Amino acid sequence: MIKVEQISKSVKGKSPVGNMAIETSILKEISFEIGRGDFVAVMGPSGSGKSTLLYSVSGMDQVTAGRIVFDGINLTEMNEESLSRLRLNKMGFVFQNAQMLKNLSLFDNLILPGLVAKKEKAQVIRNRVRDLMIRMDIDELGGRDIREVSGGQLQRASICRAMINNPEVLFLDEPTGALNSAATDQVLDILEALNDEGTTIMTVTHDPRVALRAKKVIYIRDGEITGEKEFPVGGDREQALEDWLKRV
Amino acid sequence: MKLLLNLVRKDFKRNPAITTALTVFLILAALLMAGGLRVAGTMISAYDGLNQKALPPDYLQIHKGEYDSAALDRFAASQDNIQDFLTVRMLTINNANIIYHGETLEKVLMDNSFVVQNQGFDYLLDMDNQIATVKDGEIGVPVYYADTLGIATGDVITLKKDDYIKELKVTTIIRDAQMNVAMTSSKRFLISPADQEVLSLHMGEWEVSFEFLLKEGVDTGILEQAYAAANLPANGVAITASLLNLFNVFSYGLVAMIIIVISLLLIFMAMLCLSFIIRATMADEQTAIGEMKAIGFPGKAIATLYQLKYQILMGVAGIIGYLGAIPFGNFFAEAVVRYCGTGSNPGLKWVLPFLGLLFLSGMVAWGCHRVVKKNLHSTVVELLQGAGGRRREGHYILPSSGFKHTNLTIALGELTCKWREYGVILLVFIFVAFLMLLPMNMKQTIQDPSFITYMGVGESDIRIDIQYSSQLTQQQERVLAVLENDPDIEKYAIYKNGYVQAENDQGEGVNIRVESGDESVFPLAYLAGQAPVGKNELALSSMNATELDKKVGDELTVVYGGETMNLTVAGIYQDITYGGKTAKAAIDFNNQDVEVYILYLSLADGVDLDLKTNELRGALPDIKATPVPSFIAQTLGGIVDNLSRVEAAAMVIALLLSALVTVMFLKLVMAREHRDIAVKKAIGFTNRDIRIQLGIRLLVIQGLGILVGTVLANTLGEGIFSLMLSSMGATRMTLLIQPLKAYLICPAIQLLVVAITVIGGTRAVKHYHIKEQIME
Repeated sequence: MIKVEQISKSVKGKSPVGNMAIETSILKEISFEIGRGDFVAVMGPSGSGKSTLLYSVSGMDQVTAGRIVFDGINLTEMNEESLSRLRLNKMGFVFQNAQMLKNLSLFDNLILPGLVAKKEKAQVIRNRVRDLMIRMDIDELGGRDIREVSGGQLQRASICRAMINNPEVLFLDEPTGALNSAATDQVLDILEALNDEGTTIMTVTHDPRVALRAKKVIYIRDGEITGEKEFPVGGDREQALEDWLKRV
Repeated sequence: MKLLLNLVRKDFKRNPAITTALTVFLILAALLMAGGLRVAGTMISAYDGLNQKALPPDYLQIHKGEYDSAALDRFAASQDNIQDFLTVRMLTINNANIIYHGETLEKVLMDNSFVVQNQGFDYLLDMDNQIATVKDGEIGVPVYYADTLGIATGDVITLKKDDYIKELKVTTIIRDAQMNVAMTSSKRFLISPADQEVLSLHMGEWEVSFEFLLKEGVDTGILEQAYAAANLPANGVAITASLLNLFNVFSYGLVAMIIIVISLLLIFMAMLCLSFIIRATMADEQTAIGEMKAIGFPGKAIATLYQLKYQILMGVAGIIGYLGAIPFGNFFAEAVVRYCGTGSNPGLKWVLPFLGLLFLSGMVAWGCHRVVKKNLHSTVVELLQGAGGRRREGHYILPSSGFKHTNLTIALGELTCKWREYGVILLVFIFVAFLMLLPMNMKQTIQDPSFITYMGVGESDIRIDIQYSSQLTQQQERVLAVLENDPDIEKYAIYKNGYVQAENDQGEGVNIRVESGDESVFPLAYLAGQAPVGKNELALSSMNATELDKKVGDELTVVYGGETMNLTVAGIYQDITYGGKTAKAAIDFNNQDVEVYILYLSLADGVDLDLKTNELRGALPDIKATPVPSFIAQTLGGIVDNLSRVEAAAMVIALLLSALVTVMFLKLVMAREHRDIAVKKAIGFTNRDIRIQLGIRLLVIQGLGILVGTVLANTLGEGIFSLMLSSMGATRMTLLIQPLKAYLICPAIQLLVVAITVIGGTRAVKHYHIKEQIME
């Protein structure tokens, strides 16, 4: 479904000493594939380039070299307009700190992408949001201001919003980074369920609990993939992951 | 200090667009403030300097015909408050007899007198402000003609009547403290006594002006009353120094006044923008301020940090504004220097702008200090909580049936939540629309043929004056014969103009100029009442009505030719001619008392106004035929020219201001909403969608601004215009608006400028990186 071929990304800047022009490499010739229905977790230390990789694969960030092919379309050759439409119709995105529009109630924030896409009637979209909110256990919060709900509730709401247009793939950037343990479990249960229903998921995380729910883990260090492993269901996945992380 | 300057430098680098726009804004305010004051300084010095040298009279009475000079001398000697007295003989020559470059001065509305240099006071000055002298065969030409007709020294003025021709060489250009400006309807040429005598044998008519110079501090009114009580010759207009001052101030000062008013409004706008920017900056930097406070950075130093930037900007703007005001002010003060010289106190034009800029800087510093101090009151914890403490904007509701116009709905929804933020820019847009429309509407009103109704006459096409001849009656009959048989002329009416004496409410006698003729041919809209009917009624101009304290239905006693008449005031009308003081009544003037016959005529449909005027001039060489639009323009003197300049300047300033404020505002809004923009991009809005939404918000506010500005220009503007012209005699003006220009072209230009600025200003949305904006 997604084919990442030899992508590199570098940024130009100035050296702290001597104020010289330098080029810093963030991603170095990275390649991997995500199949339909996959659940991929990208792990790595801070500054390793994992968020950049996620934003690049979702078309929100531009790469310096290489190709990203989504359903046969090369994202690196698409213009901004087409990428926006693609994000609207085929992708869902969840940020580390749930980002919502301040001037809309929580409910209106969730239906907005559906109304903008205009693929279905407004009533159908509203019903779907209500269903999703019930599923995420936030159905009582629809009329609230986004500053009146907790971080965990807001993160679940973000997932609702990301799912509103029935995306083919869900991108998540540290989805549990700002949550407590109970909220984290709740969010992960939902993600697992969505994946079971066929939604492809790519997430960036520090948290091994997230990686444990994934089917495949990619480890990245200094902009390079240092490990890639599938963890089949069954057996002691926690131990296997721990051992693997020690090795990569 | 070095640290502070470093921080300021970094801040400049971070917000170059806002900083540049704000600087230009401040420069514009400083330039206008300094420029307006430079014009004012130049004007005060020039006008004062001219008066010091020329010593114009404090009171003068025009008279035509016989008079008892001994009685006048006795009167002057008996009055302690008179410093000097002068009888000025003026030979008034018909414009058709004055030829320059092969053309007569018939096109010119001015009455032209040929005088000799006075002794004692009321001097005509040369261009070095020295008392002008001319020899036989030479002539001094009013600076007004040097300006409007391009007459220069070395040229020749020809005076021709029938077979008599006299050529006079222009040797000097004359500055006349009394009649310099276009608004005074007479001009004086300086010739030698011998030439004046010779000319008087062949052409023109003698008029005298009894002129009085009063001792310091004496009120002109005392002399005016004493003169009237002494029953001295007075069959012409009486003019006081205050009326001359009014004409001069109006002519020279109008531009300075308008520039200063615009600059004050601009300063107000600049203060609003500054306050908005400071608040926006500080709201975004609350966390940083909290951290500074937390580590013990003194509050005073934080305040200095945030004020310093704006004080530096004001300093830069002040210097540029002061320097820019030199050519700017000189351009607008050009006329006053030409008409009056550099004057008695040339230093004023340097000092006044400096003081003005000090005031402006003080205002900016005080404004910054107030806003910064107010924003620094929060506690460390409140500050560290940052945006959480910011005022909530509220929600808008998405349409339950889905979007018909997605961007429009979202933009309007957001606008309803963020309207408070748009208060400043709304005020600017209102101001811009007002600034563009008012001078335009004023000019349009003055140039419209119906403006003649403010001159005490109904709408007509051509005005004909018959005067300055001993054969007025014969001339008048000849003119009527021509008009009678001309099929191009639809209708005409003839009015005799002369003076009668009336009694004011204190029982004092005053001379009133009366127009006598058929008032039904060119019906006039009366402020109150109606046109006089029969011999027992009269109508008064509003200025006369005020001065005589009369209203419709009151009685007024007038004396003419020894006969006392009690006339009822039938109507009150507006009139800006003859100092605003006229009347209409069926007075049967003796031919020798008629000062001027004035005819108004309307042309048949399809007849060309200019061609017809020239044809009449050719057929009737002794008369003065003026198309009504030129008559209006010349009566109002330089006001039309000044308004044209102001209109152009106002348009440039207004549009520049719109663009600047739009850029500044957009940058601030985008900086403040960077997260929302990133979220929108992430959920699938395109850059174009976001730019359209920002644009719609601004254009809606601008539309509202244009609407309010237009209403204000038509209501408040009408009041301002009436106030301007009330001193001339028109108290209730109705602004005439060219709908296409005012309601379509002008708003369209404003919207276009803002739309283009939005397109340019929102280009940065493309570079708003979702990841960076969200993770920041």
